[in-house]
Amino acid sequence: MLFNSYAFIFAFLPIAILGYFTLNHLKQVTLGKIWLITASLYFYSYWNIKNLPLLLTSICVNYFIGQLLMAPEGKNKKLIFRLSLVFNIGLLCFFKYAGLMGFAKIALPLGISFFTLQQIGYLVDAYEGLTERKSFIDYAFFVSFFPQLISGPIVHYQHLMPQIEAKDNKQFNVDQFSLGIFLFSLGLIKKVLVSGTFSGWASPGFDEAVSLDLLAAWKTSLSYTFQLYFDFSGYTDMAIGLGHMFNVKLPQNFNSPFRSTSVIEFWTRWHMTLSQFINTYVFTPIVRAMPKINFRTTMIATFLAMFIAGVWHGAGINFVVYGALHGLALVVNHIRKKKKKKFSKAFAWFLTFNFINITYVIFRAKNLDDALKVLKGMIGLGGVVVPKIGIKSVGAFQDFGFKIGTYLYPDDYLLLAMLGGVFWVIFKTRNSGELEKSFKPDTKIALACGVAFVFCLFGMNKITEFIYFNF
Amino acid sequence: MNNIDILKTVTSIIQETLELPQLVVTNETSANDVDEWDSMTHIQLIAAIEAKFKVRFALGELQTLKNVGDMIALITKKLNK
Repeated sequence: MLFNSYAFIFAFLPIAILGYFTLNHLKQVTLGKIWLITASLYFYSYWNIKNLPLLLTSICVNYFIGQLLMAPEGKNKKLIFRLSLVFNIGLLCFFKYAGLMGFAKIALPLGISFFTLQQIGYLVDAYEGLTERKSFIDYAFFVSFFPQLISGPIVHYQHLMPQIEAKDNKQFNVDQFSLGIFLFSLGLIKKVLVSGTFSGWASPGFDEAVSLDLLAAWKTSLSYTFQLYFDFSGYTDMAIGLGHMFNVKLPQNFNSPFRSTSVIEFWTRWHMTLSQFINTYVFTPIVRAMPKINFRTTMIATFLAMFIAGVWHGAGINFVVYGALHGLALVVNHIRKKKKKKFSKAFAWFLTFNFINITYVIFRAKNLDDALKVLKGMIGLGGVVVPKIGIKSVGAFQDFGFKIGTYLYPDDYLLLAMLGGVFWVIFKTRNSGELEKSFKPDTKIALACGVAFVFCLFGMNKITEFIYFNF
Repeated sequence: MNNIDILKTVTSIIQETLELPQLVVTNETSANDVDEWDSMTHIQLIAAIEAKFKVRFALGELQTLKNVGDMIALITKKLNK
């Protein structure tokens, strides 16, 4: 079930909330949890019930392993722990890379990348003695909690469960609920109005055009970058908002990534819970496995960790290139930082933004040929077509080999306005995380939310999935 | 070893690892305040602290460290174990 669907907003969500708090109000705490687990499993099965057995197997097996790892007198913990990693990583790789290994391509079970990572984190923590033994119901609640089940934010058991257990959180809270509605509406606007509009400009350039002229190529690539950002950060705002409705604060996942002035900074601001996960459970063990910890070995680990983060998205050669480019960029960035070399802030921003924009072309394209088509267009190899507006000496342009196109369409003005608006929002307004902290409901916000919400409802007649559901 | 001693030792490790000998370190200092303190220097810092205090941090513990104060609390907890 999609957050941006009528069935979710008008049926599923109200019923889930009402049931959960009613049961808690009647002091049926365990039943309340079972209610929400059931709701979450229904939410998950709504796409394709065939995926449900896999999710349930993953939850049951990992719960059982967790119990073994936490048993006070347990034996062979190291072996069990290693086998559990083989099980989880194996499962993930099987579904992600089966196509690569010559098997028939299997449809990726929804959310597997996220619920697997989340449970790997749990198992490592259990192995290292950071978790307490809890009931199966608590564990199933932790994994299946529907706001974060499909695409994160990736949550830690120790972060989520105390919030569920806290007495005050067991009753419906109007303040938390209004904050939830506010963030959910914000996310809905990002997804339906902003991302949805940009996707209309991005997709034809990637999937249909044979070649792209300079402006069309930039239109395509910038549109995709913002489509992706507003899709994923919109999804995240909705997820965090839904968390608040159940009195749970999910971790921040985006912190104005496009304000970054370096690639290092970008990865502390973009998909933050994944970066933190990779940093904690991939980068750190790689560094620790090195014979010596120095600049050179940490750089190797940095590259490897970033490469793994790239390939985690899927088996395509484009994700390999994407991961490798970002890995290299991080290494170069660290070397320059160590040598205390700095660009001016404006140039550093320009460089960072363009690097990210260009690597998203590779990330988005169905294959490397499509990526090259867009990239070639962006440096003018697909020709330059100048729109008719404001050109007095048409001949001069033609002498340079430029073509003169048509007049600008209203659609082009909308694109320009959207791009301007997006940069304004990125640099001049507070981001969702800041708004979440300072939120005070008043009539103005309520009215704005209401109007935006209704707008979005009309925009929701064509249902579009979230990009990160594919990973 | 009390908290003040630990802070002193941690301070000198941070100054050395980040190559910032003049850096003022308090319990409230965090990676966000210091540009040189990133994921790369952080892991070197952790390794140096582990070696110095002869403790070992669990992976999941590293993520919970918000500032130097948290770090010192964790070291204290490990030393008293």
